[in-house]
Amino acid sequence: MRALRKLILGETWTLPLGVLVTLAVALAADAVAGDSAWWRHGGGFLLLALVLAAFAASLAPAWRRRRS
Amino acid sequence: MEAVTAFVLTLLGAALAVGLELLEAMAIVLAVGSTRRPRDAVVGAAGAVALLAVAVVVVGPLVLARLPLEPLQVVIGTALLLFGLEWLRKGVLRLAGARAPSSSLQEYLDEREAMEALPPPEPGRPDWPARIVAGKGVLLEGLEVVLIVAALGAGPEGLAPAVSGAAVAVVLVIALGAALHRPLARLPESHLKYAVGVVLSSFGVFFLGEGLGVDWPGGDAALLYLAATFVAAAQAQVVAVTARHTEAPA
Repeated sequence: MRALRKLILGETWTLPLGVLVTLAVALAADAVAGDSAWWRHGGGFLLLALVLAAFAASLAPAWRRRRS
Repeated sequence: MEAVTAFVLTLLGAALAVGLELLEAMAIVLAVGSTRRPRDAVVGAAGAVALLAVAVVVVGPLVLARLPLEPLQVVIGTALLLFGLEWLRKGVLRLAGARAPSSSLQEYLDEREAMEALPPPEPGRPDWPARIVAGKGVLLEGLEVVLIVAALGAGPEGLAPAVSGAAVAVVLVIALGAALHRPLARLPESHLKYAVGVVLSSFGVFFLGEGLGVDWPGGDAALLYLAATFVAAAQAQVVAVTARHTEAPA
């Protein structure tokens, strides 16, 4: 089961949590925005920004490693 | 032009991802086959392939084919992000020197060492440890292959580019294994995995956006600027992590 979890969720919890938060925010924004133009034309970039934030957060331990 | 971009990126992404996963599976099977009896390694691998065939039927016709397009794109996009960002995260750490480089050859040597530590198989009886190790290796790597190909195949270009890329990779890796009997030593696996991470993450954001009603400027060509953004972000992380890891200890 550990191998299967590692296969699907990866080695850290930060990344799957970040993707989950991205999904939750995007679903909420989609529900609020409906068919409005800002979401259709700009929603993708909001999504990209959230994903990049999740990616950066997953690498935060590597940034700290030397300092500790 | 847009359709060609998506087709080529899907084909390349599938070929690279499948090829790299199969190289790892092959390293395990070759290590088992060369230290125990080759027949038991093949039996273990064949059992795993049979289980994977069941997974293909469950993931394809039974799950993905029944979902409406938009929820399907959200599911596929999320799955591709989980895989792609993890490949990219590991790629950044490897290129920054904060993690050992990816090497099927090293995996092959480690697995050989582990198998040599086991008691030898009894003549005339099935070698279950060898079968289980070979089968588990093929099953875990193969499951990722099934999920990635199914996810990429659910894209705008359909299954054709994903399956074609996967087929090319399968033929190449099996031919290499049969010819060399050991993994390649000089393949830049870390860089290739980094590239797969970029491609899968780009498709992940793209599909997730489409599933949520987003119109990407440029249509399918958005994959190109999404990929460029991921490369820029990942390279910035490589520079930052490298700097941390090369700082002189206090």
